[in-house]
Amino acid sequence: MKSLSNWRLVVIILSSIILLNGCGFKDIDKRFFVVSIGVDLAKNSSKKYLVSLKFAIPKASRDSPTEFEIVSEKADSISEAVRIIKTKVDKEVDFSHAKVIVVGEEVVKEKGNAGIYYWFTRRRDIQAIAWVAIGKPTALEVLKVKPKSEFIPSNALFLSLGKDGSETPYVISEFLFDFKYRLIERGIDPMLPIIEAKKDILEINKVGLFNKSYQKLALNPEETKIVSFLRKREEKSANKITKGKIVVVIDTHKVKTKYKIHTPKGKTPYIKVNVSLEGTLEEATRRVPNEKLSSYEKAAEKTLNKEIRNVLVKIQKANLDPIGFGLRYRSRHFNNDDWEEWKRIYPEIKFKVQTKMQIEDTGLIE
Amino acid sequence: MNRYFLYLVLLNMIVNVIIFVPKILIEYRYNGAVMGVLIAIPIGIALNYFYSTAINRFPEQGLPEISANSKHRWLKIIHFGSIQLIWFSAGLITLVGFIDILVRFINPEMPKLALLVIYLAAIFLIIQLPTQRVVYFMEIVLFFNTPLIAFIIFKAFANDYLSWDSMLEVGTHIFERPSIKSIAAATYCFSGYSNLIIFNRVINGKLKVLNFIAIFIFGVFNLFTTFFIPIGFHGSDGANEYLYPWISTADSLRLVYSPIERVIFLFLMFYMSITLISVSVHWHVAYELIKGTFKEKVSKKQNLLILSIFSGASIAGVIFLNTLLLNKVTVYWMIVRLGFEIVLVAIFFIWARRRSV
Amino acid sequence: MPSNNVQTIRDHLLNMLQQPEDMVFKENHSKEKYMEALYIKSICDEAILHDNILKPFFEITGPEEFLNFLQSNPKVSEYEDEQKALEELLRGVAILFYQDFVFLFDCKMDRNNAVMDTTVETTIQGPQAGFSESLPVNLGLIRQRYPSTALMVESSTVGNLSKTRVMILHDTRFTDPDTLKRIKKFLANVDIDMFQSGEQLFDSLRKSNKALFPLMLVTERPDRVAVNLSMGKVILLIHGSSFAVILPTVMKDLMASMEDIYQAYWITKFLKVLRYTAFNVSLILPGLYVAVTSYNPEIFRIQLALSIAGSRTAIPYPSYIEVVLMLFMVELLTEASIRLPKAVGPTATTVGGLILGQAAAEAGLVSNIMIVIVSFVAISNFVVPINAFSFTIRVLKYFVLLISSLFGLVGVVLGFFLVLAYMVKLDSFGEPFLTLVQSKPGENSNK
Repeated sequence: MKSLSNWRLVVIILSSIILLNGCGFKDIDKRFFVVSIGVDLAKNSSKKYLVSLKFAIPKASRDSPTEFEIVSEKADSISEAVRIIKTKVDKEVDFSHAKVIVVGEEVVKEKGNAGIYYWFTRRRDIQAIAWVAIGKPTALEVLKVKPKSEFIPSNALFLSLGKDGSETPYVISEFLFDFKYRLIERGIDPMLPIIEAKKDILEINKVGLFNKSYQKLALNPEETKIVSFLRKREEKSANKITKGKIVVVIDTHKVKTKYKIHTPKGKTPYIKVNVSLEGTLEEATRRVPNEKLSSYEKAAEKTLNKEIRNVLVKIQKANLDPIGFGLRYRSRHFNNDDWEEWKRIYPEIKFKVQTKMQIEDTGLIE
Repeated sequence: MNRYFLYLVLLNMIVNVIIFVPKILIEYRYNGAVMGVLIAIPIGIALNYFYSTAINRFPEQGLPEISANSKHRWLKIIHFGSIQLIWFSAGLITLVGFIDILVRFINPEMPKLALLVIYLAAIFLIIQLPTQRVVYFMEIVLFFNTPLIAFIIFKAFANDYLSWDSMLEVGTHIFERPSIKSIAAATYCFSGYSNLIIFNRVINGKLKVLNFIAIFIFGVFNLFTTFFIPIGFHGSDGANEYLYPWISTADSLRLVYSPIERVIFLFLMFYMSITLISVSVHWHVAYELIKGTFKEKVSKKQNLLILSIFSGASIAGVIFLNTLLLNKVTVYWMIVRLGFEIVLVAIFFIWARRRSV
Repeated sequence: MPSNNVQTIRDHLLNMLQQPEDMVFKENHSKEKYMEALYIKSICDEAILHDNILKPFFEITGPEEFLNFLQSNPKVSEYEDEQKALEELLRGVAILFYQDFVFLFDCKMDRNNAVMDTTVETTIQGPQAGFSESLPVNLGLIRQRYPSTALMVESSTVGNLSKTRVMILHDTRFTDPDTLKRIKKFLANVDIDMFQSGEQLFDSLRKSNKALFPLMLVTERPDRVAVNLSMGKVILLIHGSSFAVILPTVMKDLMASMEDIYQAYWITKFLKVLRYTAFNVSLILPGLYVAVTSYNPEIFRIQLALSIAGSRTAIPYPSYIEVVLMLFMVELLTEASIRLPKAVGPTATTVGGLILGQAAAEAGLVSNIMIVIVSFVAISNFVVPINAFSFTIRVLKYFVLLISSLFGLVGVVLGFFLVLAYMVKLDSFGEPFLTLVQSKPGENSNK
C-alpha cells in the first residue's frame, strides 16, 4: 500500500511539473550555433564596436560542406549587439560552441577596452576553453575567410589554434581563461596570437604582447618562435643557423627551458635562462660530416643565445612580461612588497642566456 | 580498515567544492588561509580520532540505540535536536548551492523549484532506506564517480596551463595569521566522521590506525587540490573573482580526444550524483535522529510530517537564498559547525568513557 | 471377502469420483484370492500395473504370500485417509483393495519426461540440455550434477486448485537457515489458484503484488541450478514446468550467464563489463539523447552537434516524440517477433527494422542518428542474459526517458540513480538486491 501511495505522489508531482515546464527545452535544430565571435571598432558610426557572430548552418546531407552566415551589429557594448543580433536571426542564438574569439587589431591597440574581455568570462555559456586571438586587419575579415580544406565553419581556426591540427611554434594559442588569468595576475602579462586574413588562407605566426590593458608590442614570426621556446609549450621547430657560408637548418624535437632569477646583493640582478634543444639536422647547403656536428652545435648555440637575449631585452624594454618572470620572483619571496620590489628590479635586470644544442643525427644521410 | 568509514569521510572531502570551501579558502589566500589549512589538518584528524574511537565502543549501534535507555528524555531531545539542525543545514546548504550551480551552468531556463522537486524525490527515496542500504548506495555512487574525479584531477595536475608559480606565490603567504573562517572551512573536509552518529550501525570491528592514516593522506591531498588548483588556473590574484572557482577550473580543462570535450559537463554530471548521496547521508542522519526522539515507532503520518518539514525548509532555502547570501551564510555556518563539532566530540568522548568504565 | 471397513472406503471413493469415462474399477479373482483395483487410466501406466501387480497376483498362489509381496513392494504404500487417497488417485496412483487392506500403488505415467534443449538461455559452449517437464526426471538431472549427501529435498504444494507439487532443494551446508525459513513461509502464503510455472511467483513476491524487477531467477538449465546450489541458493522445482526457480536472486545473478564459468578468466571479465555497459546503455541512452539534443547541445563536439542538427532539420516535432515513436516501433517489432511462428519471425524483424527505419528517416519522420540510437538500445537490451531482467530494462528506460525529457541532463543522471536507489531498496528474501560488493549468502543479517 505504501509504495502505491508513493507512486500516486510521484505521478502528481510529475504531472504538475509537466504543466509548469516547457522551460529550457529547445531542440538542437532550433538553435543557431555561434562558432566564432569577432569584435572590431565600428567605422563611420556613433557606436563604438562592431560585433560579428559567425553562425554555422547545419546541412541535412553529408555531401556538401556546412555553410556559415556572419551577422554583424554596431553597438556600444557586446551585450547590446548580441541582443540586437538575436532579433535578426530566426533561431535561438547559442554561444555554447563559440570556440574562437577574434578581437580586431584596432581594438587591442586602444586603451580602455578591457571590459569586453571580461564580458566573455562572465557569460556562463561561453566556454573558458575558447581561443582568443587578434584579427588583422579586422576581426570580421578573419571570420570571413573560408579555407578550402574547411568542412565545418571556423574548423580551420580550431585546428590551427588547438594543437590537434598543425603543430608549430609560430602559433601561440591562448585560451580565454588563461587570457583572463594573465590580465589580472601581477607578474605575468597577456599575449595573443595574431591571425592575418589573406584571401583563402589564415596566417598565424605572430604574437601580440599586452600590458594589462592593451597591446603594446607585436613580435615577428622568429621572435614568436623564441617566446614559444621560453613558454615550453612547443617542441617542434626549425632553426636556421649560419656558419661561415654554410647554412644549416636544425629541426628540433625537444626543447627545455629553465630560468632562475638571481638577485646578488650589491650587484645588478640577472635572470639566468637555460635552454636545451635536441634535434636533427634537416637541411644544409653543403655536406655536413658527422664529426663536425659539434662545431655546428656551437654555432647554433651562439646564434640562439643572441636571438633569445634580443627578444628578452626587446620585451623588457617595453616593460612587458609575458613569460612570467615577475610571478616567479613573487613566488620565491616571502615578503609582502615583493611586487613593488620586482617593478623596481625588472627594468634594469640582465639576461644571461645559456643554450645547449644537441644535434642527434643528420637525418637518413650524412 | 573499514571501508564504510572511509567512504563517509571521503564523501565530505569530495563535496566540499559545492559547499563553498574553495571559495572561502581562496578569499583568504593572502590573509591566513594557508596557515588555516595547515592548522585544520591536525584538528580534523584529532576530531576524527576521538569521535570514532569513542563511538567504536558501541559496535553496530547508532546514537539512538546507544541512548535508548537514557532517562533524561528532555536532554536527549535537546541533544538530538541540535545535532539534527546542524546535519540538516549541512545537507540544505549543499542542496541549495548545487541547485544554484545547475541552474547557472546546465539548465539556465529551468525554475529552481523544478530541479528541487526531482532532487527531493530522489533524496526522500534514499533517506528512508535502512542505514545499511544507504551505505550500499553510497558505495555504488562512489564506485561510479571516483575513477572519473581521479581522472579529472589527474588532468588538472597534468595541464600545461596550471601555473605552479601562482600556487607558490600563495604558498609564500604561509606566515600570515590564520583566520578562523579558513580553519572552519578547511575542517569541513574532515568532518565526514561525524556521520558515524548514525552510520556506526554498519560499522563492525575496530577502526584501525590505517584508517586515520588514509584520512590524513586523502585530507592533505584533498585540501591541496581544492585550494590550490583553482589558483593555479586562475591566478593568485584572479581566482577569488570566480563565484565557483572549481566549476570554472573544470571549464578550463579540455579533453582533446574524448567525445565530451568540455570537462565541465563531466564534472557537473559527476557532482549531480555526489551531491545527491551527500545530502542523503546528512539528511538520513537527521531523519534517523528525529525518529530516535520519538518513543514509539514512527507512524505514517509523522513520517509524512517529517518529510514535509524537510521539503518546506528546502523550498524556502531555494527561494530565499541567492548565491551571494548563501555564500555569506555558509561562512558563519562553518564556524558554528566547527565549534559545535568540538563540543559534541568532547562531550561524547567523556560520556562514552564514563559509561564504558 | 473384503471386510466391511474396506467396503465402505471403496464405496465412498467411488461416490466421490462421479464415474468419469477414464476411471477403471477392476475386480481380479484367482483361486485363492480376490483383489480390486481402482485407477484412472489416462494418467496411470497400465503396463507397470500389469507387470508389478497383476502378474504376481496370478503367479503367487498363497494369499498370505501375496500380502507380504504387496507390503514389501517399494511402490506400494499404506492407505492413510480418504482425502489423501483421493488426491493421490488424481495424480495417477492406483488404489488396491486386498483382503482387509487398502494399498496405494504408484504407477504414475510420466508423459513429459523428455529432456529438452535449452532455448532461452543458450550458451555457445557447456551443457546444452535443459530440464524436462517431469518432476522426478528433473530431480534426477539435478542429483546427477550434484551428487552430495547434503542436498536436501523437501516437497510441498502450491496453488489453491492446482495443488501443484513443488520441491524445495538446498544444500544444508551453505544455505542460510533464515533465508530458507523465509522462503518456506512465503510458499505457504502464496495465494494462486492455478500454479503452473515458477514465473507466477514474481508478483506474489512483492507485498503490493506489482513487481517490476524479477526477484527470483527462473532457469531452464540444470547446470545453473547445480552451480547455484553450491552457492547456497534454494531451488524450487515445479511439477509440470521445465523451469526451476532459484532463490534468493540478486542483480549479480541476473547478469550472469552460464557461459561465464565455461570461459577463460579475462574473457569472462570482459563479457561481464560488456553486459553491465549494455545495461547502462539501454537504460540511459534514449534519455541522454533527448537531454543532450534539447537541453545541452554544448556537450557534443561542434562537429557532432552540427551533424545532429542537420539530420534533425526536417523533423517537425521535438526530440522526445521522435524517441518515443522509434522506441515504440522497436517494441512492437520485438513483441511481434516473439508471437510470430519461428519461421516468419526473423523475416518480420528484418523487414520491419531495416525497411521501416530507412523509410522513416527518408520520410523525415526521424533523424538518422535516432535510428542508430534506437537500434543500439535494442541490441544492448538483448545482451542481458536473463530474459526476465531484460524485460525490466525495457520498461525502465521509459522512466529515465520521461525524467530526462523534463529535466534535461539532471534528469538523466538522477533518473539513473533513482533506478539504482530503487534496486538497492529491493531485497529478495532478505538478500539485498543490488550491492557493489555482494557478500556471501547468509553473511549479512537483514535489519
